[in-house]
Amino acid sequence: MRAAKVALILMALVLGTTRASVAQDVPYQRILHSDREPQNWLTYGGNYQSQRFSRLKQINTKNVARLKVAWIYQPSRAVTNVETSPIVVDGVMYVTEPPSTVTAIDARTGLRLWTWSPKMPEHLVLIGLYGNSRGVAILDKTVYVGTADAHLVALDAKTGAVKWDVHVADNRFGYSMSGPPLAIDGKVIVGTGGSEAAVRGLLDCYDAKTGKRLWRLWTVPRPGEPGADTWGLGAAQSAGGTTWNNGSYDPETNTIYWGTGNPAPDFNDDDRPGDNLYTCSLLAIDADTGKIKWYFQFSPHENHDWDSAEPPILFDAKIGGKMRRLVALANRNAFYYVLDRDTGKFITGVPFAKETWAKGLDANGRPILNPNQQPTLGQGTLVYPSITGAVDWPSPSYSPDTGLFYVNAHETGAYYIKGTGKIEPGQPKGIVGGGGVRALLGEQSYGAIRALVATTGKLKWQYKLFTTAWVGTLATAGGLVFSGTDEGNFFALDASTGKLLWQFYMGHGLRSNPVTYALDGKQYVFVTAGNAYVTFTLP
Amino acid sequence: MHSIRPYCVAGLALAALSLLAKPLLAAPQEAAVVNPTTEDLRQGKATFEGTCSACHGLDGGGGMAPNIQEVPFTLGMEATTNAITHGMSGGMPAFGGQLTAAEIRHVVQYLLTLKRQDNFKITGDPEKGKQVYESSGCARCHMIDGQGGDSAPDLSNVGALRTAGYLNTAILYPGSDLPQQRHFLESGGKLDYLFVHLVTKDGRTFDGTRVVEDSFRIVIEDANGNFHSFDKADLREFKEEPGKSLMPSYKGKLSGAQVNDLVAYLASLKEPQ
Repeated sequence: MRAAKVALILMALVLGTTRASVAQDVPYQRILHSDREPQNWLTYGGNYQSQRFSRLKQINTKNVARLKVAWIYQPSRAVTNVETSPIVVDGVMYVTEPPSTVTAIDARTGLRLWTWSPKMPEHLVLIGLYGNSRGVAILDKTVYVGTADAHLVALDAKTGAVKWDVHVADNRFGYSMSGPPLAIDGKVIVGTGGSEAAVRGLLDCYDAKTGKRLWRLWTVPRPGEPGADTWGLGAAQSAGGTTWNNGSYDPETNTIYWGTGNPAPDFNDDDRPGDNLYTCSLLAIDADTGKIKWYFQFSPHENHDWDSAEPPILFDAKIGGKMRRLVALANRNAFYYVLDRDTGKFITGVPFAKETWAKGLDANGRPILNPNQQPTLGQGTLVYPSITGAVDWPSPSYSPDTGLFYVNAHETGAYYIKGTGKIEPGQPKGIVGGGGVRALLGEQSYGAIRALVATTGKLKWQYKLFTTAWVGTLATAGGLVFSGTDEGNFFALDASTGKLLWQFYMGHGLRSNPVTYALDGKQYVFVTAGNAYVTFTLP
Repeated sequence: MHSIRPYCVAGLALAALSLLAKPLLAAPQEAAVVNPTTEDLRQGKATFEGTCSACHGLDGGGGMAPNIQEVPFTLGMEATTNAITHGMSGGMPAFGGQLTAAEIRHVVQYLLTLKRQDNFKITGDPEKGKQVYESSGCARCHMIDGQGGDSAPDLSNVGALRTAGYLNTAILYPGSDLPQQRHFLESGGKLDYLFVHLVTKDGRTFDGTRVVEDSFRIVIEDANGNFHSFDKADLREFKEEPGKSLMPSYKGKLSGAQVNDLVAYLASLKEPQ
C-alpha cells in the first residue's frame, strides 16, 4: 500500500509538472481528434480507424538502429502469453496482465501505479483461447476491460477502483472475453469469444457512465429472424459468429465496424446447411441502435475456423481518380479485401498468402470454391491456409504516408479433419469442435511482413520471417514499420522498401501489437515478449 | 480456436542420425503375457497410423524417425510404453496427454506384429570391423562405450536400434535417410538435423549442422563439435541443405569387405537391456 501511495504521489508530481489540466481525463473529443496528440495512444488500434499509424517521427529510418531499452516492467506474479496492447495517456500506460488484470504504469519509468484483478470463478471455462485480455479502452476518467469470465468492468483511471461491473454473458456456457472494448461518445461496445463452445455470438453496447445495457446485437439469427434461412434446419440452434476482437468506428456516420467468428461446430457442417449468416462477416452497425446497416460475409458456410474477427482498417483513398471512403481487412482466409465502407460494396479482393480453397472471388467478392478442400474423416485434407489462418488476431497497420497496408502474414497449411461434434442446445458444454487439424509447421511454414498497396492488395514488398508470428505491425511517420517474431525478435523495417533497419532479441516470442508514444519530447516504442513489457527509446 | 496453436500433435519428426543416440529408457525385458484381441490390434493399427506413422513410417520401418518394428521385443514392453507416454530425449514427444493408456497399450501390441524386414545378410567379421572402425577415423566424431567424439551420434547400442542394411547404407551414402525434402514438423519444430553451408562477407567458409536459428541469426555446430554464431546480415552465402550429412561417404574409401566387416561390428553393438 505504501509503495502504491508513493507511486501515486510520484505520478501526481510528474503529471503535475508536465500536463496538469487534462491528466487522465479523456473526453470523447480527445479520442475523436487523436491525430492532434500523437504523443498518446488513445484506443486499441491507435485511432478509431484502427490504423496503428503514428505521426511521431523522432525515431526514424536514420536513427532507429540506435534504439535501446528504456525500461522493462514485469507483472508481480509469473504469467504466460501476455497479449496486451496498451493505451497511453498523459504519461500513464494502461496494460492488461493475464488473464484479466489491469495495471497502470508510469510510462517514463516503468513503475507500477496501481493494479486491479477481478475475482474469477473457480472453474473458468476457456475454450479455444487463452482468455488473456489484449487491452483496455479509456473514456473520460474511466478505463474499461472485458474479463475472461465475460464481465465488462469500469475502473477509475487514477486509482483502479471499480466504478461498475456488468455480467455480459454466462462463462459456464463458454462466453469469455479477451478482446478490448471500444469506447465512443458515452458508450462502450464489447464482444465475446466462445464459438468453439457453440455459444450464440453477441455484441453489446453499454452506457459508459452507468453500465446500463443500451443494445445487444445477436450475430446469428433464430428462426423467423433475418438470415435464419441461411442455416437450414440448424437455425434453431445457430451458434458461433462471436465478436472476440476489437472493432473500428466512423464518427462521421456513427458506424461501428466489427468482425465475427466462425460458425459452430467447426469442421463439421452437417447440421448447418447454407451461408450461416452473420458468421465470418464484417458488420457495419448503427452505434445508436445496434442495427446492422450492411454486412459482408467473407467465408460463407465456413468450415476451417477462419474467423473474420481481424480488426478492420478504415481509410480514405483515391480509386480510379475518385476519393473513396474505404474499409480494408486482411482476412484469416488469406484474402485481402477492400470494401466501400458506406455500402459494404466489394471493391477488390486478392490473396496475400498461399491459399488453396478458392479459385478467386467473384464480382461481389464471394469466393469461388475449389473442390475437395473441406475437412474429411481420417487423415484429413491438406488446405492452405492453416487453422491459424494467413493472419490471426494481431493487428495490421496502414500508413497514409506510403498508402501501404502492413500485415504479419502466415504461410502455412494444415490437414483438416472432420469429426462428429454436435450441438446440444441449452447445455453448458465443452468444445464443440467437429474435428481438428494437423498443422504444417516447421520447415514448410514461415512468416512474412507483407506491404500491400492498400487500395489494390498488390504486394509492394515483403520481409520473410523464420517462423509464423503472432505480432501486429506499427507504422510510423518516421518511415518505419515495427513488428516481431515468434522466435523473440523485435525489429524495424523501412516502411517504403522493407529493408531491415534494426532488430533486438527479447529472449521470448512476442505475442502482441507494438505501440509508440512520447513524453517530454522523447519518443518511445513499446511491445511485450514473454513476461516482459518493454519500452525502447533513443539514447 | 482463435488464439491457440493447433492442438493436434502430428508427432515430432526426428532427423534420423540424431536418433542413433541411446534411448534413456531401458527397462528390463518383462515377461508380460500378451494376448491382444483382433479388436485390440485393429485399434492399435488405427492409432499407429494416425499418430505414429507420420514419422516412423506406415510399416514402422522408419522415416524421419527410426525403425521401430519389433521395438517392444528389444526395448521391452514397459520401456516402449514409457517412451510413448513420456517421450524420449532426441525428440520423441510424450503422447501421454493425447492418447489413453488403453490406446498406448494397443499401439504397443500392434508394434509386436510389425516384423523387422531386412534382407541384408551380415557376412563380415566383427573383430576386423572393429579395426576398420578404429583406423577409419569414425571415433573422431562417434562414441562407443564412452570412448570417442561427441559431435555425431553415440553408437554404443546402434545394433539394437538399426538394421544391418541401414548401417550399410549409412556408411556408403550418409544422410540418405535424412529427410530429402522439407518435412512438416510439429509446432515450431524445424529439422533437427540440417546441414548448413555458409560464407561470411569477409570470406570465411563454414559447414555444420543447425543448432538454432531465428529470423536474423543462426548458430551452427561444425564437424569438430564447435559452435559458431552469425548474423545473417553478415553472410554472403547461406545454404541450407536438407538431406545432406556432415559425415563423409566411405564408398570407395573402404573396400567392400571392409564395409561388410564394419557393418558386422556395428550390428554387434547391443548393450544389455
